[in-house]
Amino acid sequence: MDAYLVAVFSVVLIYALLAIGLNLQYGETGLINFGHVAFFALGAYASALLALRGWPLPATFAVAAAVAAVAAVPLGLAALRLRQDYLAIVTLGFSETVRLVLQEERAITLGVQGVPGIPKLFGALGGRATDLAILLALLVAVALAAWATHLLKTSPFGRLLRAIRDNETAVTALGKDPARYKIQVFMFGAALAGIAGAFYAHFLTFISPEQFVPLVTFYVWMSIILGGVGSLRGALAGTLLLVAFLEGSRFIRDLVPGVAEVQMASVRLAIVGLALILFVLYRPQGLFGRQAS
Amino acid sequence: MTLAGVANLAVNGLVEGAVIALPALALTLVMSIARFPNAATGDLMTLGAYVAVGVQAVLVGSAFGAPLLGMAVATLAAVVACAIVSVAAYELIFRRLGRAAMVASLLASIGLAFLIRSLITLVVGHEQHTFALPLVRAWNFGGLRVLPTDLAIGAVALVVLAAVFAWLHFGRSGRLLRAVADNPDLARLSGIRAQRLMWLLWALAGVLSAIGGVLLGVKSVVMPELGWELLLPAFAAMILGGIGSPAGAVAGALLMGVGQELSVPLVGPTYKIAVAFAVLFVVLLLRPAGLFGRPELAR
Repeated sequence: MDAYLVAVFSVVLIYALLAIGLNLQYGETGLINFGHVAFFALGAYASALLALRGWPLPATFAVAAAVAAVAAVPLGLAALRLRQDYLAIVTLGFSETVRLVLQEERAITLGVQGVPGIPKLFGALGGRATDLAILLALLVAVALAAWATHLLKTSPFGRLLRAIRDNETAVTALGKDPARYKIQVFMFGAALAGIAGAFYAHFLTFISPEQFVPLVTFYVWMSIILGGVGSLRGALAGTLLLVAFLEGSRFIRDLVPGVAEVQMASVRLAIVGLALILFVLYRPQGLFGRQAS
Repeated sequence: MTLAGVANLAVNGLVEGAVIALPALALTLVMSIARFPNAATGDLMTLGAYVAVGVQAVLVGSAFGAPLLGMAVATLAAVVACAIVSVAAYELIFRRLGRAAMVASLLASIGLAFLIRSLITLVVGHEQHTFALPLVRAWNFGGLRVLPTDLAIGAVALVVLAAVFAWLHFGRSGRLLRAVADNPDLARLSGIRAQRLMWLLWALAGVLSAIGGVLLGVKSVVMPELGWELLLPAFAAMILGGIGSPAGAVAGALLMGVGQELSVPLVGPTYKIAVAFAVLFVVLLLRPAGLFGRPELAR
């Protein structure tokens, strides 16, 4: 049982890394990123494929972050010129395109059957120690990411980001260049997602394109909306609730006889869809957020 | 690649483009009046296709069993169902979000898309379905092979588009709708009642999605991802044509359809979505107003 809990908490922390990045992009800067899963996927594949070629894991993690951050640059450039909703569509399209490439370029990515046998993080420790070490590393990573975003938010840089979100024209009039900041935030969030992807790959030891569908992006959106957009604590609480829901639905499947996994997947999708609608309608500030000011 | 081969792809692309034009028109109308990209459009198409396939399966063997009559009744059922769902979605969700930020409506439309798709798969499962239609041989014009079914699909799409355009330009409520799209405040000041028009708009979006879904289902197979996969090409068509321009959406869709097909010999059939994305990205960066769009809507 506690091995199971360790695994579940590792998943929570991986989602937390994703949520922290998205929260910074949307909650602080107003960038609507509907393609977060693309950077997650790029990080996972970059790290897994390099590790299988014998690269040491610290290096593959660094490359995962770098690849994801670099991939964000053209989208960041687009974000500067586009209205919010266009950016949403473009990023959604980007994530589907990335998934398609992972699926089709079999020579590099092994295609739909996925990449098996990825070296486990801290695999040398063996057994329980490996799992605990991964959990610990994830805790450190999330703490660092949370600390970094906290510093960002409270710094002049962070004030500028909120100013961009609230009134971009005013910021430009003050002689600041919102463009640079937006791209940096986009890259930072993407790098976090890339690292989350690397953790994911070396935690599961198997990845395939179908793990990186747009639904994952909206799981992350769910968790930041659940927790209250813009709030770091809320994002963490939201991820906890989200994973509790995803895991809980697996238990329900095991408890209720005659429910197949495909049906449960449909139910899960229905609940996510309904929750998105209801939250937007009735609690746009999230479960823990303050009433909209 | 021979000339006939290219011509075949182009014809196929035109048919596909005519089908994409229907959801693209729905997207652009909603976008120019309700001011958000309705991501549920694709899954509404899927719903239409499933309703039609189900009704047709029931009709086979009855008095309405004849292929053409059966298809007509099935399409009508899909149109009614999607129009109702679309208006209901407006009343229950989007109307209440009218004053909220655009992202609220966008997120809700994604939620609605998931909800529709999950309910479809929950009720009928993930299997693929096909419309029961007689098999026909392709007509051969000196190497250019045309399926009569494809011609019928293209013809139906064009007739529907023509009817919508006629209504938008000559129908009374159609003109009012365009007035609201142009300048909502001015429209209200001149005494246009927006409420009934909004119902019309959402019903029309449902009708277009339903027919688009049925035609797409006839052209390929009916499956749960049918509409979602067409969403990106439809977005791309809308943006290529210029947001807020119904004619632009249709032109954009035809260009997208032909472009996607002609790219097949170069990048393979599986990269169609990537082509749509590339078009979308390049148009947005170079000419956000699209071919016929109003620049003020793009920024």
